[in-house]
Amino acid sequence: MSENAIQAPGPSRNYSAFDAELTHQALNVRLFVRLLGWLKPYLITLFVSIAFVVMAALSQVLMPILTSVVIIDTILVPTTIASDAPDYGLLALVDWIQSTYALEALSAAGLVYVTVLVGQSLLSFAHQLTLYSCSLKALRDLRIDLFAALERKPASFFDHVGVGRVMTRVTNDVENLFQLLTGFGGLAGEFVPFFVALFAMLAISGSLTGVVLVALPVAAIATIAFRIAMRKIFRFIRDSVSALNQYMQEDLVGIDVVQLSGREKQNIEEYGTHNRANRGYEFRAINFEVLYDTFNMSLGSVVTGGIVWFGGGQVIQQDISLGSMILFTSLVQMMIMPIVSLGQQFNVLFRSMASGERIFQALDWDEQLHEPDEPTVMEGRLRGKVEFRHAHFGYYQGEEILKDVSFSIEPGEKLAIVGPTGSGKSTIIRLLVRFYDIDDNMVFVDDVDVNKIHSRDLRERVGVVLQDFHIFSGTVCDNITLNNPDITRERAEWAARSVNADGFIQELADGYDTQLAERGQNLSQGQRQLLAFARVLAADPEILVLDEATANIDTSTELVVQDAVAKLTEGRTSIVVAHRLQTIQECDRILVLHHGVVEELGTHDELIAKGGIYYTLHELQFQDADVAREVAREDEGSEGRTTDPRWVSTPEDPSDTPDRM
Amino acid sequence: MLASIGGLLVARLFDAIVPLFMKTAIDSLADPDIEPTLLVPVLSILGIVATRFLIYVFSQRALRRLSISVSYDLRKRLFNHVQFQGAHFFNRFGTGDLMSRAVNDVSMVRMVVSFGAVTILTTVFTLITGLYFMIMLSPSLTFWVVLPLPLVGVAGFGMARALFPYYMDRQEAMAEVTAFTQENLNGIRTVQAMAQEEKEIDRFRDVSTHYAQTVYRVNRYQALMNVVMGFISTASTVIVIFYGGALVLRGEITLGTFMAFFSYLMMVAWPVRMIGMSITMFTAAAAGTERIFEILDYEPEVDDASTKTVTTELRGRIEFRNLVYSHPGAPRPTIDGATFNIEPGETIAFMGRVGSGKSTLLNAIVRLVDTPAGMVFLDGHDIHDFPLHQLRGAVTLVPQDPFLFSMTLRDNLTYDDLSRGDELIWEAAEAAAFADPLRRQLAEGLDTMVGERGVTLSGGQKQRATLTRGMVRDAKVLLLDDCFSSVDTETEERILRGLRRMRGGKTTMLISHRVSTARHADRIFVIDGGRFKESGTHQELIARGGYYADLAAVQSNQDEDRERKARLLRDLDSEISAVPMPEAAKL
Repeated sequence: MSENAIQAPGPSRNYSAFDAELTHQALNVRLFVRLLGWLKPYLITLFVSIAFVVMAALSQVLMPILTSVVIIDTILVPTTIASDAPDYGLLALVDWIQSTYALEALSAAGLVYVTVLVGQSLLSFAHQLTLYSCSLKALRDLRIDLFAALERKPASFFDHVGVGRVMTRVTNDVENLFQLLTGFGGLAGEFVPFFVALFAMLAISGSLTGVVLVALPVAAIATIAFRIAMRKIFRFIRDSVSALNQYMQEDLVGIDVVQLSGREKQNIEEYGTHNRANRGYEFRAINFEVLYDTFNMSLGSVVTGGIVWFGGGQVIQQDISLGSMILFTSLVQMMIMPIVSLGQQFNVLFRSMASGERIFQALDWDEQLHEPDEPTVMEGRLRGKVEFRHAHFGYYQGEEILKDVSFSIEPGEKLAIVGPTGSGKSTIIRLLVRFYDIDDNMVFVDDVDVNKIHSRDLRERVGVVLQDFHIFSGTVCDNITLNNPDITRERAEWAARSVNADGFIQELADGYDTQLAERGQNLSQGQRQLLAFARVLAADPEILVLDEATANIDTSTELVVQDAVAKLTEGRTSIVVAHRLQTIQECDRILVLHHGVVEELGTHDELIAKGGIYYTLHELQFQDADVAREVAREDEGSEGRTTDPRWVSTPEDPSDTPDRM
Repeated sequence: MLASIGGLLVARLFDAIVPLFMKTAIDSLADPDIEPTLLVPVLSILGIVATRFLIYVFSQRALRRLSISVSYDLRKRLFNHVQFQGAHFFNRFGTGDLMSRAVNDVSMVRMVVSFGAVTILTTVFTLITGLYFMIMLSPSLTFWVVLPLPLVGVAGFGMARALFPYYMDRQEAMAEVTAFTQENLNGIRTVQAMAQEEKEIDRFRDVSTHYAQTVYRVNRYQALMNVVMGFISTASTVIVIFYGGALVLRGEITLGTFMAFFSYLMMVAWPVRMIGMSITMFTAAAAGTERIFEILDYEPEVDDASTKTVTTELRGRIEFRNLVYSHPGAPRPTIDGATFNIEPGETIAFMGRVGSGKSTLLNAIVRLVDTPAGMVFLDGHDIHDFPLHQLRGAVTLVPQDPFLFSMTLRDNLTYDDLSRGDELIWEAAEAAAFADPLRRQLAEGLDTMVGERGVTLSGGQKQRATLTRGMVRDAKVLLLDDCFSSVDTETEERILRGLRRMRGGKTTMLISHRVSTARHADRIFVIDGGRFKESGTHQELIARGGYYADLAAVQSNQDEDRERKARLLRDLDSEISAVPMPEAAKL
């Protein structure tokens, strides 16, 4: 590892870029091409899908031709005018059916009509299925890749980036791309008829086509003008909606404070301001929308009128047939439609490009732990030796949390680390399990540099109970096994029993199958901690690291927790970041850390003899821990509870859950 | 409103007339006996288009504005209504739930208003006009053409209903993806510490694949629906060709009529299809509306109907007369007969374990928990006789959970009254031991932005900030619900000194787990299971040898140790350095 590893998680990275609004380029070709990379495994499906839509589009053009050239010009009002309108062999086909099956001309034409229509429906059905299939699969893969990339980001990343904003990339942003892929996949189906119609029209009458071609730029200009006008307003609407929702969300979360401060009226006023702003933008948007929609609707009719006027004149002069003129009015719709759809797609395109940028930014974020090229494989169980050699570390450049920290722990030994807030206690733990990149030859496990061990392997062997252990929504059992199939239910229950958690779990409504809310809101602080202990014990780590929670729990619960800690550390190399003196007492050696410097290290007796910081701390040590235990026990007993006397509260008691009040 | 709907109906009528003029033009061209007339039909079409354009723009605009106003209004009513709700309400409806109602359900209702209602109305009218003109042109052809249409409606309705479960599946699968991602990322440190990343990615693969499948099913069904509906609708077109074509050949209808039928068929078939689908949409929207009104119809449990205002100067005397209170659904009362007096200027400490009812007692005084009348009194008046704003102005509660809004610290600290001067803030901040962090750790002092877009404060800083917010109000009665849990003993001492300084002659009630805090109070109440176990001064309770004395014995060693440790470390010139991880992890 290079020497600048220390600075890796520091401010050299601009994390705010991760939150900032991105460029909002309407069309970023590179992005689009990159996105296609995920479609690669499904390219065949995509091509098949496009082939289907092209065929469907071609058959779509056949129907107006059938109606006008075959049915009107040939059957209903036979014309003598040599029609230039292409019939794509339809006349011959109808003739052939007519003579082969001895049908009336009209019936033959109807039959062809039905066949073409059914064929077209089936083709576009097949097109949609294949298109959805390949888009969905590609996006599923993209989503998994994105999730996996986030999942493997180091702790320093999550120190700086909010979970909420990362999360929407996995959910909403990928969702936006679905509209993009299906939208563009379908667009082929709009443009094929456009050109086919254009050719057919040119074949019939160049001058009449001219009339239609005048309308096209008008439609295009209107669409572009509309998009430009809307671009800003859409942005305003988006921003105002998110301001609106954010305001409400925060108000709801802090509703107690709002009510206690008597701010209801003012907040209603402020929310009203956001709400009105949003309504204002929405009103502005619909002015344009209505105008544009109506314009599109009318344009078709105006062009039809033009065709009747000019085309009608040509029909009178016998330049074109009546059927050709009617064909023209049908084909016009086919030409205007794609322009309108393209206009609609712009909106999607716009949104998707921003989403794409956000997704790729997260994927490209190259912050990661440097894993060894050839990781050392540790055979069998670790002996459990841990060593720090002149370790230096800082979260930011120029800051040193740990300064020249050296110590070693022998297999099976229990080490307590004590020191004030910010002295670097928790940092030692984080380095040991490689939450952050560090220089080589600083931290060793069984005499192997941790940088040479794959972080996953290391973390399987070194079990950590963090201060901010997380309870996931799911059953109690799931929370102990963490869905690891290697851990059986029996093992989970054994682990819970071992750390005194069995008592309260049994009292939950469904025991080990009780559903827990996220963050364990239906458990008390002490219960959550015991659950975290059970989780670590079930994983049976070879080295145990425990960051004691500092949170205030009542005294009797604290005793239960301390007893569990003793059981956890039994027979294991253990490091305990201790906040409670009782825990310290049960450790073999004590390390006193201050300002990132190891001030004292030794056994209890040695440090007492030394007469330094620890000696001063110890002066007031407990006289008798057992007395304290007795006190708590008697106290519980006096209330006549029949359950485990050390356990304090049961979750059925609603006032026990840390509710909103 | 009516005018705009009327306008839309007229626009539809015009739509229906256009094919008539087309028919005239075509007939005049097809029949050599008739003098070709183009000018009249073309000008008529253009005239109709222009008129329709104007009507349409105005009506549509008015209708869409209406739907925007409806969602504006619903949001406003929801927000306003929620502001005055009590604890039961928020226990029943979580923040996420309320947000989803305000966002998703409101937009659902909006969609129905703008699209559903108007569409149904106009489609029915379109249907009727289309049919009228068809019958006018050729009744017999109309009969045959219309024959398959009911089938379209029935099929549309049936299929749209069958689509519903697919739709629900998709929504659920999406919710699953969201929930999984959110939870996993919130607990990422646990996942990584336990080396479960690869297993979690595998689980996500399943969740994500499942979602993709549900989306595929919805789309496949929709595509199928289009095909089937297309086939059924085609039947009518085919009838026009076969039967209508035959009629043209027999000279019973003109070519123009034949062509007009194609246009009218579009006009008629589309509404029939829409009606089936609209009914389904209405069912979904009805559910959304119901969810909104479930909130709006919820009677605020705290009834702020009092019109009386207690005008005398408040002194801060609190009295509880045999208060019995149960949380809804609780097997036993949370407060089981609380009777006590607190004289103005007293400092009272409540102790007891989690769930003993301490918080409920404090919440009852400010009516965050609404107790029956005649049980809790402030200066001899029932608290229900005060308007809420007066009660909560006189009694300030600092809740257990320190919450700050995403705004500057200044705005946070003067949340109830933004006009307070900085001097008052600093005075309160000194008392709450928040002045030091303000000066030294937060570079921008009172102008520091906190929350999502700003600085994340540590638990201790947040707690001291919320204490400052409570202290700055300088209320007659101050209630502190376990507000020292995240600060060290030394800081706690400083805060207690600050409290004494600022709260002279005023009533203060606080909850604590620490004897070291409680001992400074004039009287201490020990609560358990909603009942008072012990009460008295520190000395009295120690002498009594009960729960409090035991607690003191257990804690004293630890606490004195902590104190020693703190003193020791102060001597060692400790300074707090930033450790980002645990704080960043809390959110």
